[in-house]
Amino acid sequence: MSEQLDRLQDVFRDVFGDPSIVLSPSTTADAIDGWDSLAHINLIIAVEKRFGVKFATAEISRLKEEGANVGSLLQVLSGKLQPTK
Amino acid sequence: MRRVNADRQPGSNTARAPDVADAAGRQDLAGLVEHYRTAVPSDRAAAFKSLLAEFKSAGQAGRFDELVPALRAVLTPDLDYTSLQALHRLHKSLPPKETTGKALKLAVLGGFTTHQLKDFIETYLFAAGLSCEIYEADYGLFRQEILDPTSHLYEFKPDRVFMATNWRNLGYLPALSDDPQRVADLMDREYHDWATLWQVAHQRLDCQILQNNFDVPPWTSLGNYESRHPAALATYVAGLNRLFAERAPPYVTIHDVDRLAADIGRRAWGDQRFFLQAKLPCAPEYLVNYAYNVSSIMAAEHGRSRKCLVLDLDNTLWGGVIGDDGLGGIRVSQGDAEGEGFLAFQTYVKALKARGVILAVCSKNDEKIAREVFEKHPDMVLKLDDISLFMANWNDKASNLRAIALQLNIGIDSLVFVDDNPAERAIVRRLVPEVAVPEVTTDPVEFIEILERHQYFQVASLGAEDFKRSEYYRTNAMRATIESSAANIDDFLASLDMQAAIGPVTPQNLERATQLINKSNQFNLTTRRRSSAEVMALMNDPTWLTVTAQLSDRFGDNGLVSVVLAHSVGNSLEIDTWLMSCRVLKRGLEQSVLNHLCELAIKQGLSRLRGEYMPTSKNDLVREHYPNLGFISIGAEPDGRTSWELPLAERKPIKTFIKMAAET
Repeated sequence: MSEQLDRLQDVFRDVFGDPSIVLSPSTTADAIDGWDSLAHINLIIAVEKRFGVKFATAEISRLKEEGANVGSLLQVLSGKLQPTK
Repeated sequence: MRRVNADRQPGSNTARAPDVADAAGRQDLAGLVEHYRTAVPSDRAAAFKSLLAEFKSAGQAGRFDELVPALRAVLTPDLDYTSLQALHRLHKSLPPKETTGKALKLAVLGGFTTHQLKDFIETYLFAAGLSCEIYEADYGLFRQEILDPTSHLYEFKPDRVFMATNWRNLGYLPALSDDPQRVADLMDREYHDWATLWQVAHQRLDCQILQNNFDVPPWTSLGNYESRHPAALATYVAGLNRLFAERAPPYVTIHDVDRLAADIGRRAWGDQRFFLQAKLPCAPEYLVNYAYNVSSIMAAEHGRSRKCLVLDLDNTLWGGVIGDDGLGGIRVSQGDAEGEGFLAFQTYVKALKARGVILAVCSKNDEKIAREVFEKHPDMVLKLDDISLFMANWNDKASNLRAIALQLNIGIDSLVFVDDNPAERAIVRRLVPEVAVPEVTTDPVEFIEILERHQYFQVASLGAEDFKRSEYYRTNAMRATIESSAANIDDFLASLDMQAAIGPVTPQNLERATQLINKSNQFNLTTRRRSSAEVMALMNDPTWLTVTAQLSDRFGDNGLVSVVLAHSVGNSLEIDTWLMSCRVLKRGLEQSVLNHLCELAIKQGLSRLRGEYMPTSKNDLVREHYPNLGFISIGAEPDGRTSWELPLAERKPIKTFIKMAAET
């Protein structure tokens, strides 16, 4: 889990152009400068590419809803990565 | 020339940044760019990361002289979405004075979300040396923006409008059960609606419009039968695209998005998740290709297309080394897969030449031996007379490329150099960064794909002149031979039997005149660019005079080679634009054009001509144009601009060796 958090943190740093970003599972969109709906798309694309996964339309929506955080993203991600491991 | 792979070890280029720090510990940006561009795929991300970090610190340290060219060099079409966004942020963080170039005002009217697309277009235009101010209309409001005369669009007054629309913005989609007549009527109505939008925008703005065609959706209703049923969506959309291509007026440029979608693969391109989430027109990663294409078209319309393809020989046009392997040993024959690969590349290059790209050779070789391949090898597709300039010697390639530009009389920044040898590519990029040097593999079949992707020779318009261009450059070489043998310049000019046709811009020569206005850099007094829409407006304005000149001689027709646009103000004729193609330099054509201008001015009762010279990095050639023609100085600005006047009373025409054809 923490290895994936590290990889995710790397993606966030690239997408937001901010090498000082530090993620924890409880990080929400409000905590990250510029995480608006546009940046959300940028993030989804970068995560898909880096992890080699594909999110469903509904998942993309859910991940930017009220209450979603980095932990929810990790959860969806590990669901997708599990079967191939 | 390259011995078999001795200088190339695949994978030897590791992710570790090369040791390119100078004494002060600063990283050499050009070296890092080279490292990134040549990194093997598995190292690319790491190389990009270290490059970006150095770019940022160079920006913070204010080293813009180094940063701006390095940033431009990295902005190739093969970036991924996240990297291009990072480069866009960097581009936008530059102080405005570092990004100025020729400025254009672009309005983006979107039928979908254009935010990322317009950012990318802006950054790729910066890479092409064009800065732009962008107005982005709100999502989906393109019709209202155009039809409402009080909209922000008209407040902004763009000189380019980009209609970023797709098939979802169509007004009349047929039902599958509609009969062919009904489908044809709908299509007609649809075309008419778009044509009306173009017309209204054009009338109110005098601007060139870039209109997307429609990318055919990646699904069908009828499977294999789709293409045979006129009411099927894919067939209907394809039909509309054909209508756009055939009927759009000259002031509308069609952007072939459908081709782009097909190139990428319709299913990957049309990933609907991002349309549903964010109204994006395609899968986001292809917005990179989308923006690159759009900016290459706009750059072409501003004269930024490259003109000349320079080719290495050994392992670029044929397999093997002619000096070692001999005519029988090189691999360029039918019946052998590798040889046919090189022939496929030659065939591609020959087609570029046929539409006006100049070809040159730059090779480390013995010239006689190298030429022999073109003369004697029966399978060679390229022949000696396809090559406008053949340079095979043992000098370094950077010097040879400079010499090629000089001899062809074109800018060094209009060259593209293809060489299979990575060491030669690296040194050319370093010593003549103005030359485009694509990072090619060792497979000639991939050369084609790579050249296609870069669209170096993007076509904004195509005319009869383009098909004859390489002939002009070849016959110019013949003229040069006579020039050196003629006893004096007058004898030489007289021996050419020149004939000129001078007349106004007409609907028939409008495309060519516009092309010259947007391409000429050297013999161009003011370098004012105009779209065909703007030139058309001047043709219809009685206070403006338009002049074009066509020149032929005993070697052939040079085509339309000069344009003058002038405006009568009070009792002067003010010359707004005067330009001429460099292939007819020193023939006396500018004198003939001046005689014509004077006649026109006198006919209108005007008493003097006025002209100005506005210096650029490329038009030093015409600094003394007006004084050479007898104009007197009436002003000089600190920025180098000069103004000139020629009183018409008692002026006698200048004698030239050019006979006038009956006026058109």
